[in-house]
Amino acid sequence: MVNAMTSNKNLNRMAWLGCGLAMLLLPLALAASNLNLATVPERRTVQLTIYNSEDLTLVRESRVLSFKQGVNPLQFSWANTLIDPTSVELTFREPGAALQVLDTTFPHDRPQTLFWNVQSDADREATIEISYFTSGITWEADYLAIADPEEKTLRLESFVRVRNQSGEDYENAQVRLVVGTINLVEKIAELARLPVGRLDELKREEYRELRLKAGRQMMAPAPIMMAETAVAADMAAPKEIIKEGLSEYFIYTIEGTETVPNGWAKRLRSFEADEVPMTVEYRYRPREYGDPLVRLYLLRNDAASKLGGTPLPDGTIRVFRANGRDGLSYLTRQSLKYVPIGDKIELNLGPDPLVVFELVKRKVYRDNLWFQVRGGDLYHKLGESGLRLELDSRVAGWDEHTIYQQRIRNYGRQPIKAQIRREFPGDIVFRSRLNPSLHDFQTVQFEAEVPAGGKAELDYELIARTGYNQKQNRVELQAGEVSR
Amino acid sequence: MNRTRWLYSLGILLLFAAPLEVLARIKLTTLPVRERVEIQLDHPQIALVEEERIVPLVKGVNQVDFSWANTRIDPDTLVLRILPSPVEQPLEARVLSVSYPPNENALVWAVAASDSGAVRVRISYVLGGLSKDFHYRAVADRAEKTLNLAQLLRVNNNANEAYASAEFWAGVGERFSKPLGLSETKEVQLSRFAAVPVRKTYTIDPTAFGYLDRAKDQLNVPMHYVIKNAGGDLGREPLPAGKARIFQDDGQGGTAFLGEDRGAFTPPDDELKLYLGLARDIAVRRTVDRNDRQRIAGNLYRYDVTLKYEIENFKDTPATLDIIESVRQIRDQIRGDSGRDPEWQLGDGTLRDSDPEKSDADQLLFRVELPARPADGPAPKQIHTLRLTLNNEW
Repeated sequence: MVNAMTSNKNLNRMAWLGCGLAMLLLPLALAASNLNLATVPERRTVQLTIYNSEDLTLVRESRVLSFKQGVNPLQFSWANTLIDPTSVELTFREPGAALQVLDTTFPHDRPQTLFWNVQSDADREATIEISYFTSGITWEADYLAIADPEEKTLRLESFVRVRNQSGEDYENAQVRLVVGTINLVEKIAELARLPVGRLDELKREEYRELRLKAGRQMMAPAPIMMAETAVAADMAAPKEIIKEGLSEYFIYTIEGTETVPNGWAKRLRSFEADEVPMTVEYRYRPREYGDPLVRLYLLRNDAASKLGGTPLPDGTIRVFRANGRDGLSYLTRQSLKYVPIGDKIELNLGPDPLVVFELVKRKVYRDNLWFQVRGGDLYHKLGESGLRLELDSRVAGWDEHTIYQQRIRNYGRQPIKAQIRREFPGDIVFRSRLNPSLHDFQTVQFEAEVPAGGKAELDYELIARTGYNQKQNRVELQAGEVSR
Repeated sequence: MNRTRWLYSLGILLLFAAPLEVLARIKLTTLPVRERVEIQLDHPQIALVEEERIVPLVKGVNQVDFSWANTRIDPDTLVLRILPSPVEQPLEARVLSVSYPPNENALVWAVAASDSGAVRVRISYVLGGLSKDFHYRAVADRAEKTLNLAQLLRVNNNANEAYASAEFWAGVGERFSKPLGLSETKEVQLSRFAAVPVRKTYTIDPTAFGYLDRAKDQLNVPMHYVIKNAGGDLGREPLPAGKARIFQDDGQGGTAFLGEDRGAFTPPDDELKLYLGLARDIAVRRTVDRNDRQRIAGNLYRYDVTLKYEIENFKDTPATLDIIESVRQIRDQIRGDSGRDPEWQLGDGTLRDSDPEKSDADQLLFRVELPARPADGPAPKQIHTLRLTLNNEW
């Protein structure tokens, strides 16, 4: 068998190099000699479970083997792949109890190879399952959002893209994708051995071309049915991706099987939703969005928004707006963090040049001045009657009043809603008529609506108790008129 | 040669769904040409190219191969949209998946069709190397009261791709169709605004524009044109940022160049202020005339400061001078920077009423009217004073 295989032409041979995995059943007497080889069983099924948080894929493949009564040595090798040898496991689907792995040996002189000794109670055929971790197969989500020209709804499409750089071609594999963050103590790529020399037998270019050709062939769709036979068949629909919970994770199973040759990537639609309601809001939150006032599309991953079938895995989202003439306007590209079902989705479009956002410092004054007398523990307030403060008394505490006006000018054609958050460290009184709230102990939040073509002038006064006067480290909200 | 290669290099290759052996033989079944190209330049930095092609499909699953070379298409931004078919030829088509071959600038769409026929598709992608800039050219009349303003768009094509005809949209102005060749820069006039009122201003601002002669305390007097984006044809759209060159009718059928500036993005109803050059016929000397310190208590002081401006208008026309001062700069000059904002009050100098719209806790703006120089005598000297009290300094 091996002779027949190795005498094949280059293309076949390359396909095998890519496959890399060989399963050899050895006669008992020749367990260590590798001279007479009984069979090279083919994969019956293969399932890939790909994790997106780590470079990790669980491969589970099944093969059918004939066993003789007694001890059967098996050889398993995986040259030129990125398999973690410590993860390779052999199990028996049927008949389970009749077969038993006695031991596993990693020979020192045969890299990327292991031997199993399997005890069989009779001569029999059995379906075995081999599972292992490999690196080099990854998947990621990406999204396409196209807002309608009025920016009331958007169309959201979600995709999954599987990349195969594992060194192994996986044909007709069932593909499952895991959304979640798992813990690994070692990287699979480090555990896997580096590919060794066999690829050098061909020149690099020649090799690339052959691979590409083989890849394109594998990626070709199934042959077209003849008109007569296709009458009853509907148009091929995009594959469904079934989403299920798995412990703290989510698992996506792609309908049917996929072929992803080594080096290729494939992108499939995970879901699409039309006319997803959204709102437009402007926000000033320097800690989250940086210094400018930014424009956001806000939507929610729930059923009311025609979403909510699945959490949205981390991925890149590209946002366009339809221009009403079949064309698009490019708005932004951003990374989207995992969005659980029911949670909100924020798409940050960046600053809007038609909305001018300025903070004007209108006035500063100080009062409640306290002096430290001669550097000691004695403090006096300025203006206390009968008190004379000599030159060696120094200002030690004061209240600094700063009057601000937050101006928002909306030159756009739609009214806007703006939310402003500002952080004020220290012992602060925030005085205004803006009906503000505290986002946290030192962050004040307030809102404003600005009509199209209009402006908002939001006045507030900060009183910073400074130096000796500082008794707290928090913002106190106070309703009142600001000083003029 | 390169050009010819390129014209074909961005092509859609249709690989009909076929048995693998057949696939190689019918590789070049058709090469649909671009029916239409739109280039969206409305994003400040990014060019989005949209091309429409008519793609023949057979019933079943088709492979549509899109490849490019020597150009900076961002493959992650590629969007294929199948436009609705005409009612008389209904054909439903859907994208099933996209595959990305290794080491190639290419991708393969698997497209399912309900029947054999042609569909119109629109392919959109972000293309690097295609940039734009706006600029303005204005000719003012002799009296400098109005000007004719032209808004021009320049498209720079370094994308290594030629367009026999493309419709451009810059976010403002009208859409227009033009060919755009390789490495070509195309300039078009987007809009023209006639008889736009212009306000000419003179300013002194020691912080922003400094001194003409520091030893003589003589300030620079920059001259600006101020144009409001409102009225007439203006005010309907923002004026994007761009370089503006201003000319003036020279009265002899020609024009003279007055100066240029980079104009800022100007939304409707806002003002565009362009600094054209220095006015040498308005002379301003600025001195600190008085600096008194009074101790309030301990190490706490009050400062009384007076700035004096001696202004001469040598022009034979009246003018308005804007005086801009930074109180913080004044404070730092007379007593050093304490790190605190100055607390101040305006005193009884001649400059008492600052423009509330243009003034704040630090900056003050005063407007002073300057009469024209008399025809028969020297320019009168105006003296103005700005008196400030700086409180609670230590």
